[in-house]
Amino acid sequence: MLKEKLNALLRIDRRWIFLGLTVVLFGAIMRPLGLINKEISKDTRNAYDFMEKLPAGSFVILSLDYDPSTAPELNPQAVAVARHAFRKNLRVGVVTYAAGATGLIEQLFAVVPAEFKKEYGRDYIIFPYQPSAVAALTQMASDLYGIYDKDKDGKDAKSMPVMLGVKNYKNISLVVCIAGTQMPTYWVQYAGDKYGVPVMAGVTAISQPGYGPYLQKKQLKGLLGGMKGAAEYEHLIDTPGKGTSGIDALSLAHVMVVGLIIVSNIAMVILKYL
Amino acid sequence: MSDTFLIAGAWISAGLTIFLFSFLYKDNPFFKVAEHLYLGAGMGWWAQVYLYGVLRPKVWAPLMNHDWMVLVPTFLGLSLITQFIPGISWISRYGFTFLMGYGAGLELPTKLATDFVNQIGGTIQPFVNVAGMSSFALFNAVVIAGGVICVLIYFFFSVEHKGAVKKASNVGIYFLMIYFGASFGNTVMARFSLLYGRFDTLYTFSASKYLYATQFILAGLAVYFIVHALMNRGKKEIEPAQ
Repeated sequence: MLKEKLNALLRIDRRWIFLGLTVVLFGAIMRPLGLINKEISKDTRNAYDFMEKLPAGSFVILSLDYDPSTAPELNPQAVAVARHAFRKNLRVGVVTYAAGATGLIEQLFAVVPAEFKKEYGRDYIIFPYQPSAVAALTQMASDLYGIYDKDKDGKDAKSMPVMLGVKNYKNISLVVCIAGTQMPTYWVQYAGDKYGVPVMAGVTAISQPGYGPYLQKKQLKGLLGGMKGAAEYEHLIDTPGKGTSGIDALSLAHVMVVGLIIVSNIAMVILKYL
Repeated sequence: MSDTFLIAGAWISAGLTIFLFSFLYKDNPFFKVAEHLYLGAGMGWWAQVYLYGVLRPKVWAPLMNHDWMVLVPTFLGLSLITQFIPGISWISRYGFTFLMGYGAGLELPTKLATDFVNQIGGTIQPFVNVAGMSSFALFNAVVIAGGVICVLIYFFFSVEHKGAVKKASNVGIYFLMIYFGASFGNTVMARFSLLYGRFDTLYTFSASKYLYATQFILAGLAVYFIVHALMNRGKKEIEPAQ
């Protein structure tokens, strides 16, 4: 009798699991539990500390290379990092090598700079999408304006106050690459290791373990991994956002998956050995 | 942006998301519409990216400024297309030769420095200062160096894996399994994050401001499935592949 029920449990229509997951995630969105993300990873802390120590007025490159397919994980990271940069009165230059990022960048910079009364052209600049990342990164080593002579609207970039004293990598204090692609590796290769530009990254949770060696060797100054990384950074800058609100849903969904794994394994053991 | 556009955008966004998710229940025409629309819109979008993001600023604009040097990379790029025309496909070799030479020249030195020499250095470096290391740092360094060596031995096929080599190789497998486990765990978290992102959008569009787009579309789809089930009662359906 018990074995029949357990067999039925193991053959459960997977659509019930989808439904369960939907209820759990929607429940967390509709009625947030406020689970606090107290654990701050060392890599996120290092990223925060590095930016925190930069003097006001330093020029920072934000390389936002993600499209809508990875935006739920990476957009909260980008928002948190941009907020931190503006709060620290850093000058921000935004570049992208992912065509799908252009709309997301417009959305982000239509909101975040206004929170800190930052002005386009004086405090930040958005450069146009470039199709060949490696060519652009190589060119920026000698003359940034060789590839970015104009901003996204076709205006002369060099004459804008935000670009004062910025010519090449020597004048860039930090590169923050938030990407769902291989871009952080390119930044480490072509700017970090070759020209000594400090690089930190924000990546999807899937690709996070692959960047471990770069952290060990300090080729990356810090790393934000997935939505958890965003939540940690939001906690550090004391501005909760989409990352923090997503932690509720993620935690509950993980509890559900772990529960299903435990139950099905117990059922398997009973069926096999008892 | 006017309210009408916002509401229309919300209905399209919520509708396409729900239509695509509906495949999890069963195949249906709404899913097919969303799928084909996604492919078509994607192709169109990429076409305009290449046209306005690449061809116009990188080829057309320099030519209009009489920068004739741009013709060289343009012809090299166009030569790649000739591979589809059997009679003159040999011309594509010039483009490919350039790509291979350029790519290898740029990639090899940096890749070797970043991913090979630097990583070997990073594995050995901690042992330079063993006396000044804490016991935890020393343990960490030993685990990393031991892991690197064991995994390399696992992928070293020029000697037979027996005796000490086999033992080291087996330890290498455990290191790989730990990496794959961490990677898979992170993959699950990433997928849930994406799902959360879509659900969060659906929740946003369920507000009165968007004329309850999510609720109406979900209800409409539920009615379709009920009517479809009633009309096909008794008929045998082909089960989707599990």
